Amino acid sequence: MEFLAPPHSTERIARWRWLWVLPRLAFILFVGGVGLLLWMSDRADDEERRATLISDVLWLEQNLRFHLTRNEELLGRIDAAHTTDPKAFESFARTVFGFESGLRQLIWLDQDGNMRLAHPSTMDQTLVDETIDAIPSRQSFRLARSLGKPVYGAPYPFFTNDWQFEVHVPVSREGRIAGVAVGIYRLRDLLGDSVPWWLAERYRISVIGDAGKVLGTRSKVESAVTDEGYQVSFDPPGWGLALHAVPYHAPRPLASVLLSASLVVLAMVVLWSLWILRRHVLRRQAVEEQLRREHAFRKAMEDSLDTGMRARNLDGEIIYVNPAFCRMVGWSATELIGHRPPMPYWADDYLDETRAIHDRVLAGEGPEEGFELKFKRRDGKFIDVLIHEAPLIDAQGRHFGWMGSMVDITDRKLADEKARQQQERLQSTARLVAMGEMASSIAHELNQPLAAISSYCTGAVNLLRDQAPASDVIPALDKAVDQSRRAGQVIRRIYNLARHSEHRIEAVDLAERIDAALALIDADLRQKGVRVSLRLAHRAVIEGDPVLLEQVLFNLLRNAVESMREIAADSRQITISLASADGYAQLSIADRGCGIDSKVAEKLFDPLFTTKPEGMGMGLAICRSVVENHRGRLVFEVNPGGGTVFRILLPLASQ
Amino acid sequence: MNNVITHVVDDDPAVRDALQWLLKSRGVHSQAWDSAAVFLSGASADLCGCLLLDVRMPGMSGIELFDRLRALGCSLPVIFLTGHGDVPMAVQALKDGAFDFIEKPYDDNALVDKVLAAIEHDARRCARESSARLLRQKLDQLTQREHEVMLRILAGKLNKVIADELGIAMRTVEVHRSHIFEKMQVRSAVELSQVLGALGGSTES
Repeated sequence: MEFLAPPHSTERIARWRWLWVLPRLAFILFVGGVGLLLWMSDRADDEERRATLISDVLWLEQNLRFHLTRNEELLGRIDAAHTTDPKAFESFARTVFGFESGLRQLIWLDQDGNMRLAHPSTMDQTLVDETIDAIPSRQSFRLARSLGKPVYGAPYPFFTNDWQFEVHVPVSREGRIAGVAVGIYRLRDLLGDSVPWWLAERYRISVIGDAGKVLGTRSKVESAVTDEGYQVSFDPPGWGLALHAVPYHAPRPLASVLLSASLVVLAMVVLWSLWILRRHVLRRQAVEEQLRREHAFRKAMEDSLDTGMRARNLDGEIIYVNPAFCRMVGWSATELIGHRPPMPYWADDYLDETRAIHDRVLAGEGPEEGFELKFKRRDGKFIDVLIHEAPLIDAQGRHFGWMGSMVDITDRKLADEKARQQQERLQSTARLVAMGEMASSIAHELNQPLAAISSYCTGAVNLLRDQAPASDVIPALDKAVDQSRRAGQVIRRIYNLARHSEHRIEAVDLAERIDAALALIDADLRQKGVRVSLRLAHRAVIEGDPVLLEQVLFNLLRNAVESMREIAADSRQITISLASADGYAQLSIADRGCGIDSKVAEKLFDPLFTTKPEGMGMGLAICRSVVENHRGRLVFEVNPGGGTVFRILLPLASQ
Repeated sequence: MNNVITHVVDDDPAVRDALQWLLKSRGVHSQAWDSAAVFLSGASADLCGCLLLDVRMPGMSGIELFDRLRALGCSLPVIFLTGHGDVPMAVQALKDGAFDFIEKPYDDNALVDKVLAAIEHDARRCARESSARLLRQKLDQLTQREHEVMLRILAGKLNKVIADELGIAMRTVEVHRSHIFEKMQVRSAVELSQVLGALGGSTES
């Protein structure tokens, strides 16, 4: 598996920072946009309110003007009948007041300005007294009379908290001024009469005098007002009067409040979620970093291993190999991953065996203690590996493949083999040395009497040649006879030594002995790559010494293995067959080796004859002697398929 | 012990007896020894004849005995009797000065021939060695002064010159000279010179 190198950490942090700018920017834009929107809508509201205020104030001013103009007309209609008869005047005045005209007093002045009639006449006398000259205003009277048009007088205070003003309407009769009808307006009443309730609810309407002094106010409730009012000049009556309207604090519309509130809440929620997200991401980042570090550590560990690791899925497909494995087999990871059996590194000569063990592992029956296999490297060299397979379990506990660890044991096997050969050579040398010692000692033992005999005889011959009497010669010849007897005794002693251990005789199952002998030579067979095929048709039981018979089989098998030293490994085969016929067990061992040529065949069973460089030439001689001691025969013949067949015939045990 | 005799050293009594019998059949006198150690205890530097020595013996081996004899200054010729496989050892012994070796089984008369050859070889050596020994005994009888005078006689100096050199009377020199001739059993200075020449100029000591 190839892994991308993790990006450099500072680079990664920079990228993260950039990723974080975006949501932050978006959030700021969002909040800004929402704020702007709210502000704009507020302004639009304000402007609308102001427009309404202006139009309301203008409307009020129009209304007042209409009131005053109508009153002027009403007053102008006063006729002689009204002006002469107080009763008629009173009824006229009542009519005029009844129109909600805002008028509070009607006064009739004759052409000279004398007050003729007044309604209500019972005006506050003290006031009248105090302002006897001022009310009604002479100046306004004269102006009205001279102009012939209605004239408004300046406002003046009435009692402490009210103001009133007069309108002088000249009345003409028969082309000349008959008098002036004076209507007195009280500001508070005027406002009360002419300002409708709905307007008064929304605004505080006041009349402001010259110096900004508030002369009269119409207000429904005493509540706070905004400072942004609007005023228009109040003309008529003029005199610098102005109408001023200030809107009450109107509660903001619920929808707008809800909208703002929800936007704020939304922004908070966004901010909060952003914060949570950031915290989550940071935590995740930390976990990722830890994971990456862990991964890098594990990868470094795997890469530094000398042990080859190879993972396969349940179908036997390679899903992972580590560098050590690649080095071992010489194939790269990309070539191996995804490969299905047969794998390129399986050795052709051991394909069946390899496939069998492969299938066993996939079936979950792989040997737990590991197994040895031969692999072929890409360069054609063979290596021995020791493999341990373990199941791969994922995080959900699912078994999804097999992980195999391999150790290259080629060198170890080679060393083992060398050590084994060394040991073998050592043993054979030791055997040779021991045998040489024994032979030498035997030779000395025999040489002594023989030398003595030779000396006596030569001496006798010398004497006889010199015509010596027989009496001189006979003692020497007697001694020579003694010495020849002594030589015979030496030989008998050696023979007795060789016969020292008496053989056991018991029932021997030849098939069992074959198994035992194969077990003894198994390491050699495996190391040389020799296949053994067994054809044990019958169970053959004979009487004899099991150990000696096993030794015979071992010797013959060993000869067979060694005869195939020079031929190709894949054709090294030994066939062992066992049959019984005519009261004899027939055991044959056939090899595919170099065979035995006729010169060798003559001396094959002679003691001390050998074709092997380090052989002693005793093996086959002993074999034949053992077989013959069991009343059997040991023969050999040419194997038709190449090589040699050794046959052992042994009498079967009587039932 | 007769000095000229063949010694047979072998641990096997039959072989010893047979070899003695064989040698006797050819007229060679022999003496048998049953081990190397026994022979060594009776051996001396002036043994003459021949030694037939078996290589393989219990206790001291033939080779070891040979080495010990050489160390004692005994130059008795040694013929080794070797068994099978002892040849390299025998060859080494031959290089170290053994007379010969013969491998068992041997041709017995050839063995006797080798023994005879060794005896003849050793007879010459013994004669040479005995005369030298005799001469040395005579030289040992001379006094210090006589020895000094003899050296000057051998140098061919006159009695007068010798008397001057040694600061003695001429008459005294003449007395010494007559003693020297008498002790060395010679009649003249020329004969004296011949006798001592055989010793190889070892008269300075």
